[in-house]
Amino acid sequence: MIDVVGFLISWLTFLGIYGILAVSLNFESGTSGVTNFGKVFFYGLGAYIGAALTVYLFLLLSGVDTSKVSPFDIEGIVLLGELATKNPILDIGLLVASLVLAFLVAGIVGYLLSYPIIRVGPAFVGFTLLSTGELFRIFVQHYEPLGGSKGIMSIPHPFAWVPNPTLRALLYLFIVLGLLALTYFVFRRLYNSPLGRTLRAVRDDEIAALCLGKHVPRLKAMVLFIGSGFAGMAGVLLAFYYSSINPDIFVPAVTFNVWAMIILGGMGNLEGSLLGAAIFTLFDRLLAFVTPQLGITIISPDYIRGFLVGFLIVAVLLFRPQGILKEGKIETPAWKVYEEEVKGEKSG
Amino acid sequence: MLPLDQNTIINFLFYSFFYLLFAVPLTLSYRTTRVLNFAHANFITYGAYVAVFLNGLLGNQSLLLSCLLAFLVSGTLAVASHIFVFKPLSDRGASMSLIMIASMGLWIMYNYVLYMLADIAHALSGVNFVSYGRILYNDVPEIMIGSLRLSGGFIAVSVAAVGMVVFLSFFLNKTLLGKAMRAVADNPVLAEISGIPRNKVITVTWVITGGIVGIAGAIWTSFSGTVTPTTGDAMILQVFTVAFIGGLVSLVKTGIGAFVIALIENVGISFLNAWFGVPTSFRTFLTFVTLLVILIAFPPLGAAGGLPFRYRRKRGEAR
Repeated sequence: MIDVVGFLISWLTFLGIYGILAVSLNFESGTSGVTNFGKVFFYGLGAYIGAALTVYLFLLLSGVDTSKVSPFDIEGIVLLGELATKNPILDIGLLVASLVLAFLVAGIVGYLLSYPIIRVGPAFVGFTLLSTGELFRIFVQHYEPLGGSKGIMSIPHPFAWVPNPTLRALLYLFIVLGLLALTYFVFRRLYNSPLGRTLRAVRDDEIAALCLGKHVPRLKAMVLFIGSGFAGMAGVLLAFYYSSINPDIFVPAVTFNVWAMIILGGMGNLEGSLLGAAIFTLFDRLLAFVTPQLGITIISPDYIRGFLVGFLIVAVLLFRPQGILKEGKIETPAWKVYEEEVKGEKSG
Repeated sequence: MLPLDQNTIINFLFYSFFYLLFAVPLTLSYRTTRVLNFAHANFITYGAYVAVFLNGLLGNQSLLLSCLLAFLVSGTLAVASHIFVFKPLSDRGASMSLIMIASMGLWIMYNYVLYMLADIAHALSGVNFVSYGRILYNDVPEIMIGSLRLSGGFIAVSVAAVGMVVFLSFFLNKTLLGKAMRAVADNPVLAEISGIPRNKVITVTWVITGGIVGIAGAIWTSFSGTVTPTTGDAMILQVFTVAFIGGLVSLVKTGIGAFVIALIENVGISFLNAWFGVPTSFRTFLTFVTLLVILIAFPPLGAAGGLPFRYRRKRGEAR
């Protein structure tokens, strides 16, 4: 018997998290031309900030001395699990604090990282960000205060005080989808604003934009700030959903998945990236259900999945470069007025 | 007291030669084709896996044979990428970043193809190919200089590195094809107008790029502890940093960069370890810091697509 409700909740939660990543990456890469191959860095940074803040603060605020009871010992993990069921305000408060802090830190790191790369071409931008992500993973693996290769375990669920597990997951799902809606709304506004049009100009021809007096480096730095901040928030959501994170989650493959989503959905089309995220996460969830039933196969299904991600990127770029949904027009107030005029003429 | 011993110096030379073999073709391919090829990592890995499969399935112990086949396989891979992906894209007028994204897609695709091949080979022979130990070859001699023992792998990689440098300097300076290649690198449109078959030149560049890197990958199996399908990926930070030192344009500077990075990674880390107690697992961070320093202090501009922002005048500054 397949658990339909459980499946839907887990799919939609993943859709929410990846949707935030895809929409913000699409804004960075599809709209503004910053080839960000290091999405996973900001995602992982957010997750680690949220997880570390929550775990340490939770113990400290509950009056536990973290120098004696470390959150990485069995004792600390059990204690965290017990305390979380009794403290609804602390649970939710820490989620909110993590989200805010992760947004700020990931955003500022993105802003600082833009300094070395604003002056060089797209080739260098992509590669530098890619290697930053990989180095972050190596760093966390070797850094003991963040749990080393074991990672951080027993992150208190914000709704741990709700006894019914389905209801708990459902409440969390609402938070995730709410944040996805917020992300979409923010980027929608940015996309249709004069800033969005400037960014498209930068994407299409940097030199022309520069000659017309647009401050290209500052624009790129700002785009990285906003995009990275939202990626950090997605990381926090993932950490609280899994309730444990380790460095092996944040491999470059995550970045490539998000890239495949936005390329499939359509570069420069925000709805397209939501569609791409929905297709990919659904496929992933289905695969996670099917894989155990196949038993041992000659070729692991994971490899086929990875191959398909790469193949899809290449095939879409070759045969349908605009993706499923084309980049649409920008809905400016003037355009709305014009459309109404046209409608009025037809009907009248 | 200097923490230098024979091992550090031998390792430094080892890595210098490998980075030379990996990075010079990258610069060559970039400046001729204007494609920043992330699938470069696959050329290394495929070269290594040709040697691994030959050894594991057929019991081959000749490095020469492995190198020849690695040249063919990686070269074919490079040309196939060009014909099926890069050429259609650039013919359509796709931007540089779009082609780069496509090369990233190829990178993922080739990587998983290799995983699948390793799985199939595992099912056929029962040998674990996902993590394969060092291969001993019987056709490269060991050389003793005094008390210093130079392994066969070291001999092979130094011969290959010196051979590549000699070959490239002869090829690019003396032959007609090499001169045409340099012309395409300098100004593709002008070269085409002058009657140089640009597409042919680019195809030859891909053969040379893939081939040399494949050979280096095959030699890598006689040096590295284990070979995994991520062998090449683990090295791209170093290889790309080396190529960035050359600004993706100058082959000579890339060659110097290979020695610089190898020096930082081997000698530099042992100094830091001895004096400040930095763990040796942090050597990649040194490379990364070098990369950032290069990008800030000597941003590769012009040919690599960067805008000369640092020559922008500040507001209100009259000149």
